[in-house]
Amino acid sequence: PLVFIASVTVCVLPSQAKHSEHHEGRHYSIPLEEVKAVFPHGLPSRFQQQIKTFNEACLMVRKPALELFTYLKSSNFAHPAVRYVIYGEKGTGKTMTLCHVVHYCARQGWLVLHIPDAHLWVKNCKELMKSSYKEERLDQPLQASVWLKNFKASNERFLKEIKTQKTYVWGKQESTEEGRPLGEVVEQGLARTRNASDAVGVVLKELKQQCQRGSFRLLVAVDGVNALWGRTTLKREDKSPVSPGELTLVYNLRKLMMNNWNGGAIVTTLSQTGSLFKPRSAYLPQELLGKVSHGLPPPSFTMGNRNPGWGTASGHGGRVCFSLSSHNIL
Amino acid sequence: RPPSPLVRCRLTQVRWSRYNPSFIEPEVNKELYQKPWEELSEEEKKKLELKAVQPIKAAPPSLSSSVFSDPMVSKFTNMMMKGGNKVLARSLMSQTLEAIKRKQLEKYHKAPEDEKETIECNPYVIFHQALKNCQPIIGLSSITKGGKTYQVPVPLKDNRKRFLAMKWLITECRENKNRRMLMPEKLSLELLQAFNNEGPIIKKKHMLHKMAEANRAYAHFRWW
Repeated sequence: PLVFIASVTVCVLPSQAKHSEHHEGRHYSIPLEEVKAVFPHGLPSRFQQQIKTFNEACLMVRKPALELFTYLKSSNFAHPAVRYVIYGEKGTGKTMTLCHVVHYCARQGWLVLHIPDAHLWVKNCKELMKSSYKEERLDQPLQASVWLKNFKASNERFLKEIKTQKTYVWGKQESTEEGRPLGEVVEQGLARTRNASDAVGVVLKELKQQCQRGSFRLLVAVDGVNALWGRTTLKREDKSPVSPGELTLVYNLRKLMMNNWNGGAIVTTLSQTGSLFKPRSAYLPQELLGKVSHGLPPPSFTMGNRNPGWGTASGHGGRVCFSLSSHNIL
Repeated sequence: RPPSPLVRCRLTQVRWSRYNPSFIEPEVNKELYQKPWEELSEEEKKKLELKAVQPIKAAPPSLSSSVFSDPMVSKFTNMMMKGGNKVLARSLMSQTLEAIKRKQLEKYHKAPEDEKETIECNPYVIFHQALKNCQPIIGLSSITKGGKTYQVPVPLKDNRKRFLAMKWLITECRENKNRRMLMPEKLSLELLQAFNNEGPIIKKKHMLHKMAEANRAYAHFRWW
């Protein structure tokens, strides 16, 4: 039977910078114009349905999100970027926590590089082309152009301010000179879908290089990061399987995931829901990420085995784990 | 065929075997048991005393004392069920009620202030009202007289009216829909139309009434 629980406390909370521990569990609403600007592609489809029904977007303030805010506020941007991993069982709020962090950083004026679901890049690709830049790699024009369109919608003003530092030649007659705004690279990728994946690669490279100067802060938010190191269901024309490293988009994104740049942060989520060849019950980083998760601090369980385990922010290659347990859902 | 993962024990169909006539039906109404002894009427007191002595039949699994259980909704779910798949039928029913609520909420948020009170958002109220609007008042029954069969207008019992309304609703949703439209969506559409007294099922009801009106000359063939 249908039960609508009306025990949710919805309150007009002060601006996000002032969200603190006693706001945990409450919902705060984002004005709908901001939703369209900040989340052209970020929110999960069931949440978008809720927005449509209730005419408002209310996010719950969760403990991992508050902890992330304290870390982001107190992080030293001269040090290499810290990689945060949010993991937990199905339906505990990992994607919503990521969206909360994205909204927070967008409000603070950071440049947000949001990949809504990395699993979409490693499966169900209708057009796989050989990359024009490197022979062994494969391009995905459709996914790349969709992402470029949404990236343009959310970060318009940064695209006008950031300038390219190299000349990029797209074809016999098309090239982008040094010193042109990054928006032109994005336009080029949208106009010619053949070069869309390479345009994405250029954008990622430029942002990584220029972020170190400190003129803007970069937040890399990836949902379903275990797709980048898993298997794909894509096959070449001769039916040989494709590994994720052979896709241009995934290769360029992996370069951003390394912590050899500073001036920002990387927040990622593990997700079993869209993952390939992983059992339904897998949710721990070791199970979903495999070999890549070596060196992650083990989650420490305090009381019982259902409590969240927090990772420490020291050492271990700058990786922190946050876990979401079933306590965090309403 | 392996048993479904939810049912591990063997179900013995107790209700199908014939009970001794001395067995009493189970009483599910919680309020009756919470009343103190003095407030009970004579019949209720007699019934309670009988319960202490006589054996009671086993309660069927669909009978529940919860505030959320609705006998009409359960009956409708049973009629929608195919091949004993109650899980699927129940989930379709809950998705239908959810769809009705969502549609009405969207309408509510878009409506101007003075119209907001007229919009009904409770899916159960809409369901009951829609079924009530679909029930025919008079039906036709075939009576053979002198070798010829006539369609005679006949008053319908309450159970028959409810059954016809639900049957028409389900057949309409199963047959006249887009190939890609799912059952909850189509059902919610039909229920909202029936709530507003429009749509194909109301039309069918009116057709039945017109046929009965047209055949009123044969009404005296009825002998009950």
